[in-house]
Amino acid sequence: MPHFLKMGVILMVVGLIATAILAGVEGITREPIAQSQRQELLNALAKVLPAGFDNSPVEDQVQLADKRINRQAKEVPFYRARKGGAPMAVAFLVSAPDGYSGNIDILIGVDSLGALTGIQIVSHAETPGLGNKIVKTDWPKAFVGKSLKNAKWAVKKDGGEFDQFAGATITPRAVVGAVKRGLEYFAENQDKIFKTPAAESAK
Amino acid sequence: MSDNVKEIIVNGFWKNNGVFVQMLGMCPTLGVTTSAENGIGMGLATMSVLVGSNMVVSMVRKAVPNDVRIPAFIIIIAAFVTIIDLAMNAFVHDLHKVLGLFIPLIVVNCIILGRAEAFASKNTVMGSILDGVFTGLGFTFALTLLGSVREILGSGQLFGHVLFGADFQPALGFILPPGAFIALGFILMTYKWINERSANKS
Repeated sequence: MPHFLKMGVILMVVGLIATAILAGVEGITREPIAQSQRQELLNALAKVLPAGFDNSPVEDQVQLADKRINRQAKEVPFYRARKGGAPMAVAFLVSAPDGYSGNIDILIGVDSLGALTGIQIVSHAETPGLGNKIVKTDWPKAFVGKSLKNAKWAVKKDGGEFDQFAGATITPRAVVGAVKRGLEYFAENQDKIFKTPAAESAK
Repeated sequence: MSDNVKEIIVNGFWKNNGVFVQMLGMCPTLGVTTSAENGIGMGLATMSVLVGSNMVVSMVRKAVPNDVRIPAFIIIIAAFVTIIDLAMNAFVHDLHKVLGLFIPLIVVNCIILGRAEAFASKNTVMGSILDGVFTGLGFTFALTLLGSVREILGSGQLFGHVLFGADFQPALGFILPPGAFIALGFILMTYKWINERSANKS
């Protein structure tokens, strides 16, 4: 057997063994990973949705897309909370493209009157110690109860009512903007959000 | 043998420390150490990969010919990194969310390939595991130290606990990338100073 072929075969064997082991590990971890992600979603939903709904928002979801929710107009799930079948609140992910570094993903909960029931920063890459105060402090609590009608949607520096941080205005400004766009989308499409049957978009 | 063991331990952890002396693995060292917790997490994840890859490389060192040893080592290392990545995602999900971005980078951490090449490919399985543990601990120590210094100076906290009163103004620069270089520089200086002092004494 020529030298190069022998070397190739040895590498192939090493690769095959590694692949087989990885396939096994993937099989073992698939279920726990899916479970932790589901748990994470449930925890986040519990934080932004009001208490008292009697359906399962994770199952009662509908996929919708709009430029105001994220810049790419990518479909995101809307988790709908109902009580006795009547719409109560909805939670969905809005994305702020104009943060300091990368997208800021925010899960927002809106009740059927258009007021926020909670927001949760799901993922971000803002500067530790500056921009990441949006998750390290209870800054997001300021959004609870705010709607398009009863709040000035800007940071204080821009004449609004939401706090910015010393040395970090860009991040709060981006979050406030994204939440506002999410509320605007909700206000215009409330019927579509609540009335589209879940089965229609379920995969 | 016991002398040998002592040598492996001292070399791996202190005398030949991957960060302080060999200056390897600078990307995770400077990148993730914005807090002590991140440092310890990254250090331990790297150590698990290092122990695994050292062990396997040492086991196959006679079967893998010299000509293809580097690609074979890389496959072994990459496989271990993927295993750690999946396992962390499944069982310590919160830590994985913090370090997730940096885990795949362990593949290209030169400390790991360096130990595979310089140690595991020439030594017994037990010795290689020991070397992996203590080189890994040395790396964890370096990252945790750097992370602590940056967290204390940059945000006035240690492992998330606030250390000072409300009047304390943290030096934010230490959390930002330049602070990593500055803090590492001072740590290296201290390391050299300790070594020189003990050399002078003896």
